[in-house]
Amino acid sequence: MKRLTLAFLFSLVSLMIIAQDDLMNLISQDSTSEINYTTATFKSTRILNGHSIERMAPGQLDVRISHRFGTLNTGGYNFFGLDQSNIHLSLEYGITKWVMIGIGRSEYEKTFDGFAKFSIYRQSSGARVMPVSISAVTTIALKTLKFADQSRTNYFSSRLAYTAQILVARKLSEGFSVQLTPSYVHRNLVATELDPNDIYALGAGARIKLSKRISLNGEYYYIVNPKTYMSQQIYNPLSLGFDIETGGHVFQLFFTNSLGMTEKQFIGATTGQWKKGDIHFGFNISRVFTLKKQKRPSNY
Amino acid sequence: MKRSFITVAVIAIFLLFFISCYYDNEEALYPTLNSSCDTTNVTFSGTIAPMLNNNCYSCHSDATASFGAGIHLQSFSDVVTNSARVVAAIKQTGPYPMPPGGKLNSCSVTQYDIWVRNGMPNN
Repeated sequence: MKRLTLAFLFSLVSLMIIAQDDLMNLISQDSTSEINYTTATFKSTRILNGHSIERMAPGQLDVRISHRFGTLNTGGYNFFGLDQSNIHLSLEYGITKWVMIGIGRSEYEKTFDGFAKFSIYRQSSGARVMPVSISAVTTIALKTLKFADQSRTNYFSSRLAYTAQILVARKLSEGFSVQLTPSYVHRNLVATELDPNDIYALGAGARIKLSKRISLNGEYYYIVNPKTYMSQQIYNPLSLGFDIETGGHVFQLFFTNSLGMTEKQFIGATTGQWKKGDIHFGFNISRVFTLKKQKRPSNY
Repeated sequence: MKRSFITVAVIAIFLLFFISCYYDNEEALYPTLNSSCDTTNVTFSGTIAPMLNNNCYSCHSDATASFGAGIHLQSFSDVVTNSARVVAAIKQTGPYPMPPGGKLNSCSVTQYDIWVRNGMPNN
């Protein structure tokens, strides 16, 4: 009896597989007449520190909680940095199919930030072939830390910094995506004449899917400005870690030499060095809530 | 229709922010800072404590020291105990440069240095 049941189950499964094949055929036949957009180039709206081309679908709210701990080289007494933590909270919302906005607050320099991300092109095949996805991100950071010298005339503009980024990404295969991120950071006020108000950087990020739920991510920003003469020695931020997807949450666990979590901070103010062990453990937790139901299932 | 209006509004607001770009640096914006640096009347209560209060107590007051690796900089005796660490931190020569948001102005660093060299008086 047992054997019979097993045989029955097996035949069911094989039937299902055949049926799935038929469906796949149908999809491939259809593909020339409609546009097939590439989905899930990255798992989250961030690669690790910086933005990825992914955005929230309209009506979806992403609640993000991020931490960067102290550096590993602070030793066992500080539990390798875990005694210190630096937090960033943000709410991010998809307005239309191609625009998302977000607001956030960093503990670091008591910074508020806001951003808007615009999807310009999406990688697609079928009726319209587009080899890459292109997005643009603009960010404003407002530092609310009290000025060190209260007696001088301090300006509101001195608190502001802006970032503009173009994100160009391609999903090369099911398990491998890459992104290039030319970035521009403008700080209204810097410490000395030697410090540039404008910082130019080229970011690169990649994602390698290890399993259905886990992927390995890496991200690096090359700062184009000469760094030797700045009043504060800064380094190129490098981050390596994992995306773990569990149901409605995406966890990103990683190591980075940057303490800051907004563009202005990790591109313009990364003072840690990997080779000296100034490595921060960090995580991002992302939870997506659907605030507005879509009228029809969209092809995101 | 409503959606496209929101979109246009969002873009407009972000563009507006970009109009207010300044190219300032503290040396040029506050040129008298260095000459006005008071290096003669450096006291704990008048110079050092306010400087610590402005720059360090978000992580190093008695209430918040858990964020700052358990290093307290509130009471006079705690400041004396940690003075060597603070010197390395604010001159950014040690393993843990402070404050994390960027170097203090040179006047504050100099004043702290003078106070330490004067034997850390509680005045």
